[in-house]
Amino acid sequence: MTPVLSIQNYTLDYISSVGPVRVLHDISLEIGPGEVLGLVGESGSGKSSLAWALMRHLPENAREVAGSLRLGDIDLQRLSPGELTRIRGRRLGMVFQDPSTSLNPTLTIGRQITEALIQHRGLKQRDASSLAINLLGHVDLNNPAAIMRRYPHEISGGEKQRVIIATAFGCRPDVILFDEPTTALDVITGARILALFARLRRETGVAALYISHDLALVTRVADRVAVLERGRLVEQAPAADIFRAPRHANTRALVDAVPRPERRLVHDKPGDQVVLAASDIEVQYGSGGLFRDATPPATKKIGLEVRGGEILGLVGESGSGKSSMARALTGLARFSGKITFDAHEIHRMRDMNAAYRRDVQIIFQHPDASLNPRHRIDEILSRPLKLYGGHLADIPRLLEQVRLPASYANRWPHQLSGGEKQRIAIARAFAARPKLVICDEITAPLDVSVQAQIIELLLALREETGTAFLFITHDLNLIRQIAHRIAVMRRGEMVDLLPVEDFDADHVHPYTRELMAASPVPVG
Amino acid sequence: MTELFIRLMRKPQGFVGIVLLALIAAACLFGPALAPYAPEKIDFLGRFRAPGWQNWLGADQFGRDILSRLMVGARSTVPLAFIATFVGSAAGATIGVGSAYLGGRTDEAIMRTIDAVMAIPGLLMALLLVSTLGNGAGNAVIAIAVAFAPGMARVTRSAALNVRNQDYVKAAIARGEGAPWIIFREMLPNVMAPIVIESTIRVSFAVMLFATLSFLGVGAQPPASEWGLMVADARQYMHQAPWGLIAPSAAIALTAIAFNLVGDGLRDALNPKDER
Repeated sequence: MTPVLSIQNYTLDYISSVGPVRVLHDISLEIGPGEVLGLVGESGSGKSSLAWALMRHLPENAREVAGSLRLGDIDLQRLSPGELTRIRGRRLGMVFQDPSTSLNPTLTIGRQITEALIQHRGLKQRDASSLAINLLGHVDLNNPAAIMRRYPHEISGGEKQRVIIATAFGCRPDVILFDEPTTALDVITGARILALFARLRRETGVAALYISHDLALVTRVADRVAVLERGRLVEQAPAADIFRAPRHANTRALVDAVPRPERRLVHDKPGDQVVLAASDIEVQYGSGGLFRDATPPATKKIGLEVRGGEILGLVGESGSGKSSMARALTGLARFSGKITFDAHEIHRMRDMNAAYRRDVQIIFQHPDASLNPRHRIDEILSRPLKLYGGHLADIPRLLEQVRLPASYANRWPHQLSGGEKQRIAIARAFAARPKLVICDEITAPLDVSVQAQIIELLLALREETGTAFLFITHDLNLIRQIAHRIAVMRRGEMVDLLPVEDFDADHVHPYTRELMAASPVPVG
Repeated sequence: MTELFIRLMRKPQGFVGIVLLALIAAACLFGPALAPYAPEKIDFLGRFRAPGWQNWLGADQFGRDILSRLMVGARSTVPLAFIATFVGSAAGATIGVGSAYLGGRTDEAIMRTIDAVMAIPGLLMALLLVSTLGNGAGNAVIAIAVAFAPGMARVTRSAALNVRNQDYVKAAIARGEGAPWIIFREMLPNVMAPIVIESTIRVSFAVMLFATLSFLGVGAQPPASEWGLMVADARQYMHQAPWGLIAPSAAIALTAIAFNLVGDGLRDALNPKDER
């Protein structure tokens, strides 16, 4: 059987100011008709570069050193720009990571779908419109005719991704490249997109290359999985085997790093005294004006308690108000309600005194954004020491605490990797010797293996200092490994607050059950 | 810093701009020493002498050498324009970042006041201030700085609004940093790129504004050899001796172009996406 897509000994360099940097080493992959190949790798492993090479959309400084890329009997590297235009979309479709940026915000959905259909399938405007409505209905969008008239900002992220998938399938390509299509979506929406993908695949028999950093997810959608490590292909195996019997050490590390709820990492019990008690917390963004009503509050009368040394998980999909809680507790958003901390009552932002600011620290999701790019690491770490008392001589100790060499003090944030930056953010939070640390999705932008290291570090720091954590995440598998209790939020309301052992019980809220079903637990 | 300079020199507009600026700086520093004649040396035999071997750029109505006057006058034109822009930009940037940091009603109040000030054209504003404060180069500097500050405040605020939403600013607020630290150390360094670019472009406006004020008689006073004043003086004799008008006008234009080119070059060099 001839493969639909074949990559032979492909090697790719990027020319940088320090000379050529090899991003792909001698890659050979084949995708048979109707087959879905999963491509897994950490960030920087070159998986997106491979996708761009296949789409013939490499940056100017890319140099193809060796190898061939073939789509059926077409040599992709030899195509002229005109021929490429006919191939792209028509025979080789692509679905991108972030649906919010892959649709043109100034054109209606209908215009964008019909344009693709007219271009690639040579349809008349009227036929294209009726086919587009058909396609949108087929990807489970309600009232497709109405969606056609809308602009991208008028539909949700999940709906946008459905529109893009409908367009990609509608042009009936031979192969579709999926570049992390669910990463930018929340868990439940992502799970529905995956179900849709599985159904469309069954119906159309299209071949696909599915790129993701999430091994657990890939094993559910792909027939075969290829693991990419720093531009080298280290393992290729049927999806079912890769989890059960990973052969290469790197694959095994990836498999081990995938969080599994049954493997608990925390075994102690939290203390009895309450560190922080919040009741009736309501966060409201923007007040109503003369001509508009007030927006509904982001959180509705939420109450929670954190005990000494406890890890309290807070999960929910995007927009559920979990980050708003973090902001309220750290005085970054206006709120109403009451926070009791150390017998000190707080009703407004202004009531937060220096002691509270010291004792409650926050770590943000994106380490790139939470470290000032114009400050060196030592200056970043010196601020909490200056504000809360401490000696600048402690900086090497702080770095050591987060397992970084003391020489990092002189570096700039951009010279560090994502995981290292997050360690600096953790060191900054712990420099204040806090009683409670709020972690706002701190592992979400990191690779699974780095995520596992960060979690290990946090747990070690907790051993040392006895700090309590409020751990906000959308990853239910991860939080079930470490939390003592888990609160589930949905649309600003708390639907569940359970000890972690009760999550397998029957009395969980239906939404919590849906959330658990949507979190891909690795097979095998 | 040196890396930035190298990147700037690689751009054609940056290179030409830097070379022109170096020439102007040389004129500012060594002008009086290099000038062939004293700027106020009157030569009655050489009135309206056309450009030639004696006076390279010709002579004016008193027979004063125009080239010498230009070289000496650079010192009273370019540095003043530079100071005025610097003061105006610094004030505007502080207001802009502060306004973005404070946010809400305060931000609204500051920005609407700035809008009101900006409704008055720059030149008119400068004239108004000079006529209140009195004539003279020092007051013209203040007037131009005040006229520039609102525009800078606007540019800076729009950049600072983005920075305001960054997590490192939130982190600073959450750990209880004071407003001066957040404004000057956390936010300001991150909005420097647009400020630097905008200021270099504005220096050229300042040179022209200065010349205009002198031309109108409220800036530098005769017999100073300020360029705008030279244009004003030569205007009466435009038909007899056009070189008296052309030479200082060309000097003003050249300075404006030099700063504009450097501004353009900096915009590209400071753009991190341009890093190849």
